[in-house]
Amino acid sequence: MSGVHAVEDALGIEVDEAIRALRRLLYCGEWIQSHALHIVMLHAPDFLGYPDAIAMARHHSVAVQRALALKKTGNELLRLLGGREIHPINARVGGFYRVPSRDELAPVAEALKHARDRAIESLRWTAGFPFPEFGRDYEFVALRHPDEYPMNAGRIVSSAGLDIAAADYETEFIERQVPYSTALHSVLKERGAYLVGAMARYALNRDRLPAEIRALADEVGLEPICRNPFRSILVRGVEVVYACDEALRLIASYEPPSRTCVPPEPRAAIGYACTEAPRGILYHRYRLDADGTILDASLVPPTAQNQDVIEEDLREVATTGLDLDEETLKARCEQSIRNHDPCISCAAHFLKLQVHWT
Amino acid sequence: MTGADQTWVLVVAIGNPDRGDDGFGPAVAQRLRGRVPSKVRILERSGDALALIEDWGCIPSVIVIDAMAPISEPGQVHRFDLTDSPLPIGVAPSSSHAFGVAETVELARGLGRLPRYLVAYLVEGEQFGTGAPLSLVVAEAVGDVAEHIVSEVSTILKAKGKGRHA
Repeated sequence: MSGVHAVEDALGIEVDEAIRALRRLLYCGEWIQSHALHIVMLHAPDFLGYPDAIAMARHHSVAVQRALALKKTGNELLRLLGGREIHPINARVGGFYRVPSRDELAPVAEALKHARDRAIESLRWTAGFPFPEFGRDYEFVALRHPDEYPMNAGRIVSSAGLDIAAADYETEFIERQVPYSTALHSVLKERGAYLVGAMARYALNRDRLPAEIRALADEVGLEPICRNPFRSILVRGVEVVYACDEALRLIASYEPPSRTCVPPEPRAAIGYACTEAPRGILYHRYRLDADGTILDASLVPPTAQNQDVIEEDLREVATTGLDLDEETLKARCEQSIRNHDPCISCAAHFLKLQVHWT
Repeated sequence: MTGADQTWVLVVAIGNPDRGDDGFGPAVAQRLRGRVPSKVRILERSGDALALIEDWGCIPSVIVIDAMAPISEPGQVHRFDLTDSPLPIGVAPSSSHAFGVAETVELARGLGRLPRYLVAYLVEGEQFGTGAPLSLVVAEAVGDVAEHIVSEVSTILKAKGKGRHA
């Protein structure tokens, strides 16, 4: 979605309000399916002492089945709006290739009502987990919109006072290589590591959530600014409930747009955009020539932006956990990485731990 | 579901037709359309294997088609009966964005939500580049696998008609 927004920025396209709402609805689906997967299938086993969701399912069948049903609802939204559940293909520059009818959205709305109940049950279940004492003074970075909890619009703000448009992203942030990894690390030029994702969104935008969602967060003991990444599972849980509510609101007020797309007119220009993917802000920049050919591009995904924070967390978890046995310490280190929901290829069991005593 | 609407066999084709041999499943699904009875449902999925559990629900017989990384010879097709045993380590298709088929099958087994009959047809892929077509060797396997599935579906339905589980 960031790519579409960035090219629209380059071409000076303002999409119709109904299109903007549909894109927000598509993001609700993304958040529901991505968070449901991470909360129950990847993160919960860490707290309950299981090696993975398969082992956990034998004793926590209800929670796993609930997550599967939740995820299915997210997938249905994505399939209807995006054409498929992974890497959606239906969004296009200027709008969508095809927009749904109200009748097509009606069964999804019914499913979302059940999904909302399941999301609340899941949140209350995770609230009972044993959370390690841990906290760091992160600089949170997220989008902020005048009156919405941010998804696909807003300025980039931080807890240290940053407040910029997407076009100024590369003025403040830089991606750099490190000698020990092939992954690029994104940092603030002036202050270094920063955190994006659910914890940052919530810390910077809690006041944009409806009162009933804030009350739910209070009920499960989630503090207004959460600095313990092990508790990020609660923040994601709150966001799933919100995404269900927001999707229901958007469907209730949906009127199919008079046109599915604002026809793009190619021109030489540069465009920028930033959206809130489930894992955090996703920045795209494109330079186009007169016929619309992309001459160069820059894409900064959330996981690249959290690399330094993940490593700093890991360093602190490892150094403060040296009295643990090696298996427990290894599990705690893996959990501290999963706290930030890196993509699933990094989220399975992967860590080789070597402790050098001196 | 009951009566005439009941699905007896679900064929799930997993893959992305815009990613070379990952499009094997959808290509087989295209061949199957119109060639299987109404009790057989054909479903195309773009790669979220975890969704299989909700997709098959209570359908008793399920056939999954997917592509896998090459382990011996690209184009070679492997048929696995997963009803009582997991996918062997090393052949399970995986994704960087979702649970793979192997994990999903074992999760379903743990939840008691495995179909009574579950078979996977996996082809060894050669190229998975964005926008690439099926490789020649994988394209050649499409017709054979479709024929096998038509035959297997027929056997399942006959057994079902005689009251035997399949």
